[in-house]
Amino acid sequence: MVNWDLLSNALVSGVLLGGFYCAVAVGITIAFGMLDIVNIAHPAFIMMGAFIAYFFNTSYGVDPLLACIVAAPFAYFGGRLMYRLYYLAFERHGEESLQGLAFFFGLLFIIEVGLLLIFGVDYRFVEARYIGPSIQLGFVSIPWRLLLPTIVGLAMVGAVALFNAKTFTGRAILAVSQDPGALRLVGGNPVHIKEVAFGISIATAIVAGALLIIIQPVEPSIGRDFIGRVFAICVLGGMTSLPGTVIAAMLLGIAETLTTTYLGPSWSPAISFGILLLTLGVRPAGILGR
Amino acid sequence: MGSSLRIENIDAGYGAVTVLSNVAVDVRDGETVVMLGTNGNGKSTLMRCITGEVVPTKGRIIAEIDGVTHDLAGRPTEAIVDLGICLVPEGRRLFPKLTVEENLLLGAFRKAARPKISDNLAFCFDAFPRLAERKNQLAGSMSGGEQQMLALARALMASPRILLVDEPSVGLAPILVARMIDKIAELKAALGLTVLMAEQNFEQATRIADRGYVLVHGQVALAANNIADLRESDVVRKLYLGLD
Ligand SMILES: Nc1ncnc2c1ncn2[C@@H]1O[C@H](COP(=O)(O)OP(=O)(O)OP(=O)(O)O)[C@@H](O)[C@H]1O
Ligand SMILES: [Mg+2]
Repeated sequence: MVNWDLLSNALVSGVLLGGFYCAVAVGITIAFGMLDIVNIAHPAFIMMGAFIAYFFNTSYGVDPLLACIVAAPFAYFGGRLMYRLYYLAFERHGEESLQGLAFFFGLLFIIEVGLLLIFGVDYRFVEARYIGPSIQLGFVSIPWRLLLPTIVGLAMVGAVALFNAKTFTGRAILAVSQDPGALRLVGGNPVHIKEVAFGISIATAIVAGALLIIIQPVEPSIGRDFIGRVFAICVLGGMTSLPGTVIAAMLLGIAETLTTTYLGPSWSPAISFGILLLTLGVRPAGILGR
Repeated sequence: MGSSLRIENIDAGYGAVTVLSNVAVDVRDGETVVMLGTNGNGKSTLMRCITGEVVPTKGRIIAEIDGVTHDLAGRPTEAIVDLGICLVPEGRRLFPKLTVEENLLLGAFRKAARPKISDNLAFCFDAFPRLAERKNQLAGSMSGGEQQMLALARALMASPRILLVDEPSVGLAPILVARMIDKIAELKAALGLTVLMAEQNFEQATRIADRGYVLVHGQVALAANNIADLRESDVVRKLYLGLD
């Protein structure tokens, strides 16, 4: 007998989780999908965002999401600076593949260790009015602490999609990795364009961090759980496609919640790698790959 | 208030390989000048020198844009494009995974072209109805002829003053070559452009050119003040018309 109550609750949770994964993955769709930058440190920046939210929430009582929205512009400029360094040290010499990977791996470790030294290994959480209450729709209950991240995640993808479709810089972001020389021939500077896009990518990670710590308690090393997820979503979605990112994030969210519900939580980390392998084997272009 | 180009005795190449030596070329306001030369004689290298993709080791390139003189030496490509000097490059260099329309909109990246983007888009769709029909198709999935039209239209989206065209005939069927050449002349007249075109197809190119040069082994073998002189010259008779 199917337990409809359990199934519908699992599906709704899956969609909500998927919305949050949009926030987590949108920056990787930009960096890895659009710019060809294998930023495996992306989840570390998400953790940084989570601890920024934690710090301002516990020290000054600031709303965790607000704290990270205010931090986002700083993250944007930090991201631009980081890309500059990466470009000057590696990309300019065509050494981005292996040494660039080592650069981001190093960054991942430095951030993680830094957070460990400052905040320790204990799980930390934040307090806000919307953590706790739920909306009851029939026999499905929707907790605000999951609904808010979903709304923010989808809004972030929507904002990036709008920016890419409607602005000159945004359209150049879509073009830059296809042919940087041709971008110069229409008057764009590929380094500047990638710098801006990478800044946006890091800013989204910081905001995603606030969403993460709203959803669940956080300690520095859980960022690693997201490495597989963000790349799985990016590849499954079709690398450069933002609608693809949304669909893939939803699919992963639903797949993880269903396995957690029916098989137990220990299976869920394997799901993203399963999806990644399946995509690469069956449809390497992803769902909406061009 | 004209737009013209003066290439003063440049040497250029790739690393240790010198391709162009002592090349001097003039393109006066409103002219269509053809740069003839068979494969590997340096036509594209010359184009890349003008756009700043290849930096000459000797000589100067001076552009006058609407009456203002600019020395192009040491400027990055995007700054040269920003002046209004736009290249339809060899191999088209479209963004294959973007749509026709996205490619065109990117053509208007240049600051001065941005306010004119909707007029220019309408102009391009009017000049190339095929592109309007295919505006949502990926550029990489278009036919060679359509891609060449798109490359030309993308350059026009920048509202150029000086248009450089590198071998528009490559890979096109003869009927399409003739149409493409006619189109360049038509657009040049409509927009008041100054045009420098590299081309191997002597008969087609000289239908629309005012004068021309012939590049042989990276040197100007002939600078002719009119098409008749070009046609009668020994070098053209030898290279193009199969006569000795
Ligand atoms: N990127 C490059 N690196 C090294 N050598 C190059 C490069 N591009 C061109 N060359 C060399 O420079 C010379 C001139 O090439 P160029 O492309 O300018 O000729 P072209 O007249 O445009 O020929 P085509 O009609 O085949 O396009 C050739 O010998 C070519 O091998
Ligand atoms: Mg060439």
